[in-house]
Amino acid sequence: MADFKIKKGFDIKVLGKPKPEIEEYASQQLFTVYPSEFDGLKSRLKVAEGDRVKRGDILFVNKKNEKMVFRSPCGGTVTAINLGPRRVPVHVQIEQSAQEESVTFGTYTKDSVKSLSREQLVDHLLNTGMWPLIKQRPFSKIADPAAAPKAVFVNAAKSAPFQADFSLILKGDENAFETGLNALAKLTEGKVHLCKSAKSAIPEFGCATSHIFSGPHPAGNTSVHINRISPIRPADTVYTIAAQDVILIGKLLLTGELPRTKVIALGGPAVKEECRKHYRVRLGSNLKPLFEKTLEVGKELRIVSGNILCGDIVKADSGVRFYGSEFFVLEEDRSRHLMGWTMPGLFQYSSHRVNLSSLMGLTHEWKLGTSLHGSHRAMVVTGWMDRYQPLNIMTDYLIRAALAHDTGEMVQLGILETDPEDFALAAFVDPHKTDVCKIIKQGLQEIEEEGL
Amino acid sequence: MKFLFDFLDKNIAPLFEKGGKFERLYPLYEAGDTFARTPADVTPSAPHVRDSIDQKRLMVFVVYALLPCLFFGIWNAGHLFNISNHVEGASFMTDIIRGSAMVLPIVLVSYLVGGIWEVLFAIVRRHEINEGFLVTGMLFPLVLPPTLPLWQVAVGISFGIIIGKEIFGGVGYNILNPALTARAFLFFAYPAQISGDKVWVGTAHTAFDSGFFGKVAENIDGVTAATPLAVAAAAEKGTDAIHALGEAGYTLWNMTVGTIPGCIGSTSVIAIMLGMVFLLITGIASWRVMLSGVIGMAATGYLFNALPLESAYSQLPFYYHLVMGGFAFGIVFMATDPVSCAATNAGKWIYGFMIGALTVLIRIANPAYPEGTMLAILFMNVMAPLVDHFVVQSHIKKRTAYARALNNA
Repeated sequence: MADFKIKKGFDIKVLGKPKPEIEEYASQQLFTVYPSEFDGLKSRLKVAEGDRVKRGDILFVNKKNEKMVFRSPCGGTVTAINLGPRRVPVHVQIEQSAQEESVTFGTYTKDSVKSLSREQLVDHLLNTGMWPLIKQRPFSKIADPAAAPKAVFVNAAKSAPFQADFSLILKGDENAFETGLNALAKLTEGKVHLCKSAKSAIPEFGCATSHIFSGPHPAGNTSVHINRISPIRPADTVYTIAAQDVILIGKLLLTGELPRTKVIALGGPAVKEECRKHYRVRLGSNLKPLFEKTLEVGKELRIVSGNILCGDIVKADSGVRFYGSEFFVLEEDRSRHLMGWTMPGLFQYSSHRVNLSSLMGLTHEWKLGTSLHGSHRAMVVTGWMDRYQPLNIMTDYLIRAALAHDTGEMVQLGILETDPEDFALAAFVDPHKTDVCKIIKQGLQEIEEEGL
Repeated sequence: MKFLFDFLDKNIAPLFEKGGKFERLYPLYEAGDTFARTPADVTPSAPHVRDSIDQKRLMVFVVYALLPCLFFGIWNAGHLFNISNHVEGASFMTDIIRGSAMVLPIVLVSYLVGGIWEVLFAIVRRHEINEGFLVTGMLFPLVLPPTLPLWQVAVGISFGIIIGKEIFGGVGYNILNPALTARAFLFFAYPAQISGDKVWVGTAHTAFDSGFFGKVAENIDGVTAATPLAVAAAAEKGTDAIHALGEAGYTLWNMTVGTIPGCIGSTSVIAIMLGMVFLLITGIASWRVMLSGVIGMAATGYLFNALPLESAYSQLPFYYHLVMGGFAFGIVFMATDPVSCAATNAGKWIYGFMIGALTVLIRIANPAYPEGTMLAILFMNVMAPLVDHFVVQSHIKKRTAYARALNNA
């Protein structure tokens, strides 16, 4: 138990925070699963168009480790399989049938989980398709079941705008959460670290060590938690998981069935004000009707799955993703402003004192759009990229090393401790509009391919 | 306004875009277009929102910070000309007009010639025009004497832009400060005009000798006097350098206000400080470099004061060094150039300190060049990557030690 106060950071004041209330979202007939969602996964399909599947049947497997399976969130008929370049499966669409059948697995209780061996538990999670919820550092990929992680980090403190309110989600599911934590504790010789935000009230759980992180974003980033509690050295592995997903694992273990629902938060300036809240949705269910009901009309919008700083752009008929519990919607802002280089900068959001708006940033909530506010330029080292970086990282040098494909230097400068999301604020403040997150992501990929 | 922009987007823009008639000139169109209004680009990927700052704004704000120096320089040039030529009926207005006639052509040539190179390289290399030249084009004239022939201005800025910047790949890739590179080139190539030990007092521009600007009573051509740096350096052993400066007409006060002959923008410490305050409030320039520069100068100044040297110059208090010559201008505007200065915070402290220290060292200990600022900054520009290298190495060591300590705990 420790208290960590993060000083360096910046909260982007954006309009549209989801209210802490949950609406039940009526289940849809159409479900979508995205093999493309899993970075670096080579998937092999086990179903074809027209096949009938039960809820919990295998849809596709990991080519490199066929024990890692991905199961259907609903029972029905496979209606469409969309293949991308080189016939890589992009998404699998399933239409729910009236009589939905479910596959069942073994059931456990909060305490019986503790008597499982690590091997049994890993096999069970792999076999039920829930293992991929657990990720690992370095490389932020699906956890390697064979690794011996020195710790497991559960993130219940996420701070990027916006996050589903975990204390709200936890209500009523405490037992499932604790069961999930017990299971995670079996995966490591070390500790399970439960990282909480100072703002939310989450009880203590015996099998996990609690830590409290306070301060501006990125106080809630997993990399910051790891850095403060048990920093990664080049040979280390740690498992990481979002707190919401621990509930899903717990439910699976308790009920013996795949969990049906999860809670997502819908926010952002382009969501109608009364609709900015949490929704309980079926896993994988199509969100088109929800978006049609809740988004502002007549504008070109961007729907982001995840938060505004590191989410992915998705289409308006997207389904609930495997990862992430948030959708953020904002306007595609292609507006052009007269002589932006000299105007006082009152109406354009900025963290820099070069714009007067930085003074208003303390209280005002901004209706931000996707404008780049400038054009790409060669990087000039201003030191601003590190201004909001609580990790001890020299961002400019790390980017240089990544651009130069110098894997040795990248590792020395600490890239293995990070995830692209840790550089979102650096990219936000950069006047040269460098694609920092993308560069770091490519750097990590390169190291992974070449080996340490 | 909207009508005009719609017209541009529909009829003019396609000419410059891919497949258009003037496709190769796209950088020129893009520069004009984004100068008039911010670009319409949206974020390609996460993060989906971005700060509204961009390089244009950044660079233009540095130019704003230079304006007090420019305005003072214009007045000062005209004022000194009118005084030294005993112009009858000289007033504030005629000072300004005369000064403008002397200074503005230099600024124009600098921007014009520098701009042509910038555009040329952008077109050949097919990249967008970088706003960095807006700053270079203004910095360079401000460190020139107002009597410099315009052809030398053109040659100097060409050298600075091409050799100082573009051969490395443009702004962001250069090692040296381009404006200072340009000045150093003139300094060594044409020492007669810009040596640092002699300074212009006033030359009669025949074109302006009409009564309109006030009548020139005595037409003196090419009169020069010794600069404060040269006076102090020449002060005899055992005498007081402050006294020698006073006799030559230089006091702490007039060197601070800047009503002395010298380079256009660098004589007035007050004007420089106005710019400095602006840069610090907007957070553009590094306060670390400025502060450590002054500390380095003070430390070395005191060191020389304490040494048992006979030279009168070595006994000069450091604050005289601060206001003499180009140090104040150099440390505020030249040394803080984010591209050529040290990149790490610890590196900035070392870099600034060394500039201050080297400036005093060159001034006092080196008999060849009276002014040390330019050489000190250029030298430290070259050394900055080395300084950063050591800072980064120590950073890596600390990172490893931190991880080891926490994991063993």
